[in-house]
Amino acid sequence: MTSAVLPSPPPQRAPVQRSEGVWHAAWKRLLKDRVGIASLAVVALFIVLIVLTALGLVAKSWQAEVGVPNARPGFMGAAPPEAAAVIETPKGPNVDLSDVDPLAPRYKEWAERAAKLKTEEAPRAQTLPLGGDRLGRDVLVKAMKGTQTSVFVGLMGAVFAAIIGTLLGALAGFFGGKVGDFLEWLYNVFTAIPDILLILAFAAVFGRGVGSVAIILSLVGWTGLYRQVRAEFLKHSVREYVRAAEAIGASSMSRMFKHILPNVSHVIFVRMSLLVVGFIKYEVILSYLGLGVGVDDVSWGTMLAEAQSELILGYWWQLAAATAFMAVFITAFSLMTDALRDALDPKLRGLE
Amino acid sequence: MLPYLIRRLWQMVPTLVGAVLLVFVLFHFFGSDPAEILGGLNATPQQIDAIREQLGLNRPWYVQLGIYLKQVATLDWGSSWTTHEAVSHIFATRLPATLTVMLPILIFDTLLALPIAMWVAYRRGSLSDRAIMVVSTLALSISFLVYIIVGQYLFGFQLGWFPVQGWSDSVLTNLLTYVPLPLMLALMVGLAPQTRLYRTFFLDELGHDYVRTARAKGLTEGSVLFKHVLRNAMIPILTNIGLALPGIFVGSFLIEVFFSIPGLGREVILAVNRSDYPVIQATTVYLAMLTMIINLIVDLLYKLVDPRVVLK
Amino acid sequence: MLLSIQDLRVAFRMGKVDGVMQRFEAVKGVSFDVPENGTVALVGESGSGKSVTAMSVLNLLPDNAERSGKIVYQGKDLLHADLSELQALRGKDIACVFQDPMGSLNPVFTVGQQLCEPLIKHLGMKPREAWARAEALLAEVGIPEPKRRLKAYPHELSGGQQQRVMIAMALSCEPKLLIADEPTTALDVTIQRQILELIAKLKEQHRMSVLFISHDLGLVGEIADHVVVMRNGIVREQGPVARIFNAPQDAYTKALLACRPHLGENPARLMVIDEHMQGQTARTQAKPKDPNAPVLLEVKALAKSFWLHTGLFARREFKAVRGVNFQLRRGHTLGVVGESGSGKTTMGLTLLRLHEPTGGEVMFDGRNLLTLNDRERQHMRRRIQIVFQNPYASLNPRFTVGQTLIEPMEIHKIGASTAERKERARALLEKVGLDATAFGKYPHEFSGGQRQRIAIARCLTLEPEVLILDEAVSALDVSVQAQVLNLLKDLQDELGLSYVFISHDLAVVRFISDEVLVMKDGEVVEQATAEEILAAPKQEYTRRLLGAIPRGYVPAAA
Repeated sequence: MTSAVLPSPPPQRAPVQRSEGVWHAAWKRLLKDRVGIASLAVVALFIVLIVLTALGLVAKSWQAEVGVPNARPGFMGAAPPEAAAVIETPKGPNVDLSDVDPLAPRYKEWAERAAKLKTEEAPRAQTLPLGGDRLGRDVLVKAMKGTQTSVFVGLMGAVFAAIIGTLLGALAGFFGGKVGDFLEWLYNVFTAIPDILLILAFAAVFGRGVGSVAIILSLVGWTGLYRQVRAEFLKHSVREYVRAAEAIGASSMSRMFKHILPNVSHVIFVRMSLLVVGFIKYEVILSYLGLGVGVDDVSWGTMLAEAQSELILGYWWQLAAATAFMAVFITAFSLMTDALRDALDPKLRGLE
Repeated sequence: MLPYLIRRLWQMVPTLVGAVLLVFVLFHFFGSDPAEILGGLNATPQQIDAIREQLGLNRPWYVQLGIYLKQVATLDWGSSWTTHEAVSHIFATRLPATLTVMLPILIFDTLLALPIAMWVAYRRGSLSDRAIMVVSTLALSISFLVYIIVGQYLFGFQLGWFPVQGWSDSVLTNLLTYVPLPLMLALMVGLAPQTRLYRTFFLDELGHDYVRTARAKGLTEGSVLFKHVLRNAMIPILTNIGLALPGIFVGSFLIEVFFSIPGLGREVILAVNRSDYPVIQATTVYLAMLTMIINLIVDLLYKLVDPRVVLK
Repeated sequence: MLLSIQDLRVAFRMGKVDGVMQRFEAVKGVSFDVPENGTVALVGESGSGKSVTAMSVLNLLPDNAERSGKIVYQGKDLLHADLSELQALRGKDIACVFQDPMGSLNPVFTVGQQLCEPLIKHLGMKPREAWARAEALLAEVGIPEPKRRLKAYPHELSGGQQQRVMIAMALSCEPKLLIADEPTTALDVTIQRQILELIAKLKEQHRMSVLFISHDLGLVGEIADHVVVMRNGIVREQGPVARIFNAPQDAYTKALLACRPHLGENPARLMVIDEHMQGQTARTQAKPKDPNAPVLLEVKALAKSFWLHTGLFARREFKAVRGVNFQLRRGHTLGVVGESGSGKTTMGLTLLRLHEPTGGEVMFDGRNLLTLNDRERQHMRRRIQIVFQNPYASLNPRFTVGQTLIEPMEIHKIGASTAERKERARALLEKVGLDATAFGKYPHEFSGGQRQRIAIARCLTLEPEVLILDEAVSALDVSVQAQVLNLLKDLQDELGLSYVFISHDLAVVRFISDEVLVMKDGEVVEQATAEEILAAPKQEYTRRLLGAIPRGYVPAAA
């Protein structure tokens, strides 16, 4: 066993350049896709908005009732004063009841006390930029805060679901056998029970709230990702580069997460993006049913819940604002995901 | 075939046990106390306790589990704790309503999405293809809730074409009067993702070698698409429908709640809100069994559609 | 002239970069003719543009292809014909047979249904008529029990039978021209021979012309009348087959002819195309092997079975390898030859315990490899290594070459520091003939041959004693094959490595092996030195294997 590979004093070597990897190349392709870049920019704007609201720099006071109830949007002008009472209000001074009124002696004292206190009563605005809801809260501010809540739920839920699905899918696909059978059983149990039932059951455990909704959605939504990751791991486990890794002595963990996972990451990423959209839409429905975020939170779902009764009365702005914010974000996010998938594809065809 | 069927049925048992256990644990240990709900806001603690005794909630958990399992085995659920309606009767009356709404939706969805997807795949890359894709992306971004709210307002309230809500006892009246509005709204939402999905299936098939052979034999593009490609694309399409089928039984809950249709989905939500255990448990078991049986039927259908399939 | 191709150019649109459409030119001005009742062969390595040229005739190219030039068939320019005219010709006057029969047949329709389609469309037959004619066609291409086979699905047939069905489909309307795109490349050697004979027989009977595309000059020499040699999208040389083989004019053609491993002579190193074109000559002096070198690896009664589930609880045993014995001496090469299904690959993987064996023993340096515990097995991995067949799948696409090479060293703790490991990796890259700058690149930036070298370098990082080469050169072009084989021989001479070389190609095995094992259905059919196997094969199967190998142009006896 001889080896002619022995380092004599190493000659001066030129610094090694690293070629671009898959993600780098995909990024460059994405930059050339006009639609992709535009949607990426929109999503980035939303992310900035979310960070600002999360830090409290924007939309902190969404609960303040700054406008008159159901204030109209600015571009529409103030509502005409309502045709007031139907009944004729009586004219003339009030009847004097001081002889039968038990509280009469104390009125003077209370009036003096009240005069000492001051209440700040800011004048209520007649119109707000995007209108007001039935309590007079600014719809624009609510929409911004709602964006933070809804998107946050969607993202967190998707990330959790991705972690669960990837871990379980990797184990099931790579090892098979008893481990695979057990995980298949788990998958069957979770998919046999209808989604809504499972969500309601978990809601009983976790209660309401942003974090709870994220966890609940992830516990229900991991199954699709699991299936796909498992299929990918099954496919890759018998590929020759994994066999080669086994031949040089790499451990199972190493083969799973160091070798196979990077080759599967693009699939997981795309699937996770789809989950984000799905979860945001689910959250809307849950909040509508009263199972989503807590009473003190605002999300696109709670806004839509309020909007239903408002629409009958002719107040359409909260519905429009929530729908518009949601539509813009989800469309941009979907287009961005499509563009990213296209950007990742051709490179991969060369790699696989 | 028979050994395959036996093995599949045998494999359903552990899944059923798992589903039953999961629901039992979640509701018994974490859910709201049904006795409190039944007692109402003004019940005294003694009254609540009496109700608990009556419902058998005071017995140890393993006894309750045993009763539950016996119910599963005999399929005898007793009655709902809130309405005292026999659970089997609840199912028998609510199921038809759900089906009357959801089956037309499923059928129309598939029947419409297929030709659209084929046409779009045929003219891939053209302006109409891209336009349809953008429109469907947009349509997907609006919540179903919004469609329903606006739809009810516009078509029911303002234009008066359809009743906003309602249900009747006659299947025909239902189909003609009460189903069209929810059907239309569900299609508006569901068509976009289905079309995109089917388009992907068709495009995938178009990349295969047998398409080149078909062209080399001199077949027209139409023949290639509608005969060769469609037949192969049926395989993933069947998978897709198979996955969607179990969902229609309860996934319809949103429609049923909004349109006041007395169906299964709405019933489930009501039951969960009231912690009505018999209904919840029965629903879980029935739906779990239904899901597994539908999966089995779909797998058997595969054999018909894809001759390569070997049922092991 | 039946078909005349004049100055054909084909470019593929690759997408826009900065607003400018990028094009890849696959065919850059090709002209040749196909006479009536003659066989023209298009020969070239991968990337030469031969398939693209053939597919242009009927415009079976993908959507992003742009053609220019003229393709004249019976006085009509096919390049400018519209789709319906082309569709009338396809399958009727001009028919095709493709390389991968399993993928080219529609999996959900029966053989009969697919055969009847052109009959009904072009000849206007009624379904019942067409069915009867289809049965006759199947009989003609040599499929046994044609009536029953009509109702079969493609996946129920073997590769050879599927290709016969494709041929039957092509012949159904009595075409004047058959375009066959590498029809035998995916098939076993013995089946290949059968299909070639079938095509030749049918050509005679139906008075058809054949345009045959292949990368194998030996094959082409046996069946063609006229040969067109292509490289990089242009025609290097064309002419009658006798002249091409006996008196080639072009340097590339000469190099192509010289670089095939012959069964007859056995040079020390194969000629590589570029070297040949530069005028170098082959080296015939080989370093003699020591016949008494110590036995490194001894295999006794090795067996491997797979269990398949049938029925409810039953299992059926499939014996992939049954009772294999051999000895491998230090510095020698053992060649293992067999067709697909012979169990040769399974045996190779079992030696390394990538499959767990079901029986037998493998003695390596006095210890039985099959009973080692985990720690000892890890140690063993250093001493026996493997190179796989598919260069596109054996390197992790997400690792740089450097990462691929350093990983084994890190696992086995070779080298004192990262810097030292990098040094070794770079030195190894140069040893296998690659530039050290390859260190930072990804596998997709390299060709098949280069990737195999990287795979070999990866094995060498562990300083092994035995290398198992599982069809390591089968997926490579002739010239590249020669380079890798030469490299293997160099490494053997320098480092004293021992090889187990598994392949289906007897000529390649002959070149590199000292001893040869012939396997069939999991068993060793014959075992002898390389010269003996060729000169005096004892078994019928070995003789059949030898007979099936294309020998190139052999002038008819005067």
